[in-house]
Amino acid sequence: MEIIKTQSLIKDYLLGKVKVRALDGIDLIIETGEFVAIMGPSGSGKSTLMHIIGCLDSPTGGEYYLDGDLVSNLPKRALAGIRNRKIGFVFQSFNLLPHFNILKNVELPLMYGGMSFSKRKRRAEEVLESVGLSDRLKHRPNELSGGQRQRVAIARAIVNKPSILLADEPTGNLDSQAGGDILEIFSELHAAGNTVIMVTHDPNVAARADRIIQIRDGLIYHGDLSA
Amino acid sequence: MAISVLESLRVGLTDIAMRKVRSIVTILGIVLGVMCIMVVLAILAGMNKSTMSWMGERGGLSKVEIGFNWQYDFKKGGEAKLNLAELRTIKSLIPEARAFNPNISSWDARLRYRDKEYSAQCFGVYPDMQIVDNWFPDKGRFISDIDLRESSNVIVLGSSVAKEIFGNHNPLGKKVFLKNQVMEVIGVLSEKYWEQHGGGGMWGRNALEYMNQRSFIPLSTMMTKISPGSKVDQLEILAYSPEEALALQKKLRPIMLHIKDGKEVFRVSSAQEDMLEMQKNAQIFSAIFIMIAAISLLVGGIVIMNIMLASIKERTREIGVRLAIGARRWDIFMQFMVQTVLITSLGGVFGLVFGYLILDMVGKYLQMPMTANSNMIFSALGVSVGIGLIFGIAPAARAGNLDPVVALREE
Repeated sequence: MEIIKTQSLIKDYLLGKVKVRALDGIDLIIETGEFVAIMGPSGSGKSTLMHIIGCLDSPTGGEYYLDGDLVSNLPKRALAGIRNRKIGFVFQSFNLLPHFNILKNVELPLMYGGMSFSKRKRRAEEVLESVGLSDRLKHRPNELSGGQRQRVAIARAIVNKPSILLADEPTGNLDSQAGGDILEIFSELHAAGNTVIMVTHDPNVAARADRIIQIRDGLIYHGDLSA
Repeated sequence: MAISVLESLRVGLTDIAMRKVRSIVTILGIVLGVMCIMVVLAILAGMNKSTMSWMGERGGLSKVEIGFNWQYDFKKGGEAKLNLAELRTIKSLIPEARAFNPNISSWDARLRYRDKEYSAQCFGVYPDMQIVDNWFPDKGRFISDIDLRESSNVIVLGSSVAKEIFGNHNPLGKKVFLKNQVMEVIGVLSEKYWEQHGGGGMWGRNALEYMNQRSFIPLSTMMTKISPGSKVDQLEILAYSPEEALALQKKLRPIMLHIKDGKEVFRVSSAQEDMLEMQKNAQIFSAIFIMIAAISLLVGGIVIMNIMLASIKERTREIGVRLAIGARRWDIFMQFMVQTVLITSLGGVFGLVFGYLILDMVGKYLQMPMTANSNMIFSALGVSVGIGLIFGIAPAARAGNLDPVVALREE
């Protein structure tokens, strides 16, 4: 089943008075349960693509179906609900809230989803346990190592049982050991049936995925990678 | 479903707890503003309460008093005293007056009864004193017209005087010595009592105790036997209404000037005029405090708005993260709105507490009953919440309108 389908996806930016085309007609299909890596040099449009797939941004043109629903023409207000229910984000720089302990950090999406206090505490504890951090619930992010922080971020991303897990350079700020651990978690999540989409420029990281999508100049590149 | 206000409150409280110093600095303006509002309300309430009862206790607002003019330079000649002829003239010119009580006070009037001696301030008065001062005997009777005409040797005691000299015995009919005269006690006046706030002046808690330590004899007896040759230095006149008192006061000023050859040796005052003056002062006082309150609240509100805007700028990335994980614009708006209102309410609470302490001090200083009431609490909290709502909208709206992509890119 297609979890993500885009047709001639276009995104224009205004840089001052100059219109810049970041995406120039992307046709993309990702099936449920796939592990996909999106690669491309900086400025290729891969981040923009990820923002649109993650419903953080709307395309200028074209269509985007998420889970069978057309979301490209939804108002921004509606996108927040979709992000909350269907998308889990993992960022390169973790993006945890520094003043909250990790339990609270993981509870946040549930809170915005409207889950009751006791229920979401239980759910967050459960998910933190699954990433091996049940002994750190009351720690603040800055008391944890980079690898541990990224595990918290993953827990936060999956706590809502989203349809897709979006990771933007998730190992970019980690040493190879911690990065390997994180990729292992993504592989496990994928093995458990989750759809994982990872943006990276590291071929070794991308190698973990089932499929690699190359982006060049706002288009999917089908040519020879070594060229 | 948007997150509830309760959740916003939780988030807001956490935010405030994390930024204690900033929150405290932020609310100073609100604290000051609320304090001022409290003081104004307390002064207005206290002023009305205490002046009304005080004036009532002292004979009401229909009283006109003629007495020594402290502002007159007596080197220019003249004497603030009235003889009987002058009194008769005055009385004949104001037939509309309800009561007329000229009096003379004597400080060296030692009362003796058997082996007891009491140094009471003694007044020579007219029978009308009862009406003018709204003060009647508890036991016996007051000085009558006949006593006045005959210059009788009779005396009416204040309650404390009677208690001091006679204890629990009945003083009526007893003979006491006043100077070299034997006087018969014909009455004891009721006790005057007015609770003094701010605790204890010269006479303890009863602000009117000095009146209970007085004794009264007919004016004529005073002028002929006790203190021969003395003249009247104070004249109290009662009108039928506060308005008539003002008219009477207006009418008496030229009369007094004329009697004393154009020399302003007497001051003609009325309780009504004093009260209007006091009210005017209270209004000016309140207006000043209201101005201070308004300015403090305005400045406080602007400070809060700016600090919130700065805080939002600083937390742009956090807002981006919250938006990315599913917060709606409304959630973000509410988070900052609730936080602003919480901070200003906190200011309101501190303002109430400090205002309460100040009230006590101001009350002691003004010797006025100044108590906090629920009115104050509601208006203080209402105002602080209102300030939060007004000045919170702009920052909260800015936070809520952030573009998640842009916000996430922020360092």
